[in-house]
Amino acid sequence: MLQSAPFTFRRLIIWLGRIVIAAIFIYAGLAKLIRWDMHPHPPIGIATSLFALQIDSYQMLPPWAVLQMARWLPWIEIAVGLLLLIGWRLRIWSTIVTIVIGGFFVAVLRAYFLHLDINCGCFAKPEPLTGLTVVRDGSLFLLAVLMTIFAFMESRNPHPWSVSDSPAAQTHS
Amino acid sequence: MEVFTDFQCPACKVLYLTTLQRVLDNYVNSGKIYMVHRDFPLPMHAYSMVAALYSRAAAHIGRCEVVEQALFENQEKWEMNGDVKGTVAAVLTPAEMKKVEALVESGAVQPFIDRDKQIGQAVPVTQTPTSVLHTRNGQTYPVVGQVSYDVLKTLLDQLVK
Repeated sequence: MLQSAPFTFRRLIIWLGRIVIAAIFIYAGLAKLIRWDMHPHPPIGIATSLFALQIDSYQMLPPWAVLQMARWLPWIEIAVGLLLLIGWRLRIWSTIVTIVIGGFFVAVLRAYFLHLDINCGCFAKPEPLTGLTVVRDGSLFLLAVLMTIFAFMESRNPHPWSVSDSPAAQTHS
Repeated sequence: MEVFTDFQCPACKVLYLTTLQRVLDNYVNSGKIYMVHRDFPLPMHAYSMVAALYSRAAAHIGRCEVVEQALFENQEKWEMNGDVKGTVAAVLTPAEMKKVEALVESGAVQPFIDRDKQIGQAVPVTQTPTSVLHTRNGQTYPVVGQVSYDVLKTLLDQLVK
């Protein structure tokens, strides 16, 4: 009879990563499109342009790339957040999320060390980029990395209790 | 479009010399946008207030653009030695410079800069450059930092529709 595998540290990190990162991504994507901080909320086109200006202030990308990123990133954040939440193809989406968060972290780190006096743009609303932003993004990146590593480990070496009572499995264990 | 700048701010220099020039050419001169420059000298910049005073005094005699251009273009020079006066004198006639100096020394232009600072603090402006776009229906959109024209254009085109 199959038994539920115990809640190990590995699984805890995976669950924590999925919930926390998914929530942040979905919130961040929606915030960029809806602009809750503005009253009345601007149309999506204007919200996208405002986000483009925030990306542009990092001085990392040419204008055409800034505009494309501003156009697609919020939707990607929402989609990837939802996929992470439902746990479908976890290894793929956790890897993608880790790469995305890694990209954000590099951009924030660079801006911080270049002393760029800019807004983070992470959640659309004006939010000065400070050391706290670096710590926050770094922590999130660490969580994403652990989540991804553990997701791969979990798939290759699941807990013995989660293995079925087949002869092959019994021989293997 | 209200633009809050500090003459000693490097990002303001880039914004002014690249982006704002094109905004002036393509939107202000054609009447689509009305641009207002507001001085927001930051306390950490030793000579930005002096530069703002001279620029504002030049505006009183109709020579604002020439002096602003000279101050931003030569920012690295006068911020080292504090020679704002020499930078301004280089682009004005002696008679114009005399009028500008008189305005600066009399303190007549200081209240205008103080008022700009108060307006900025009400936004609130927390860094320079900060541009605030005001639409006809009363909506405001802050644009913080140095931004490229091609990106700003996408916002301006939507707002002037």
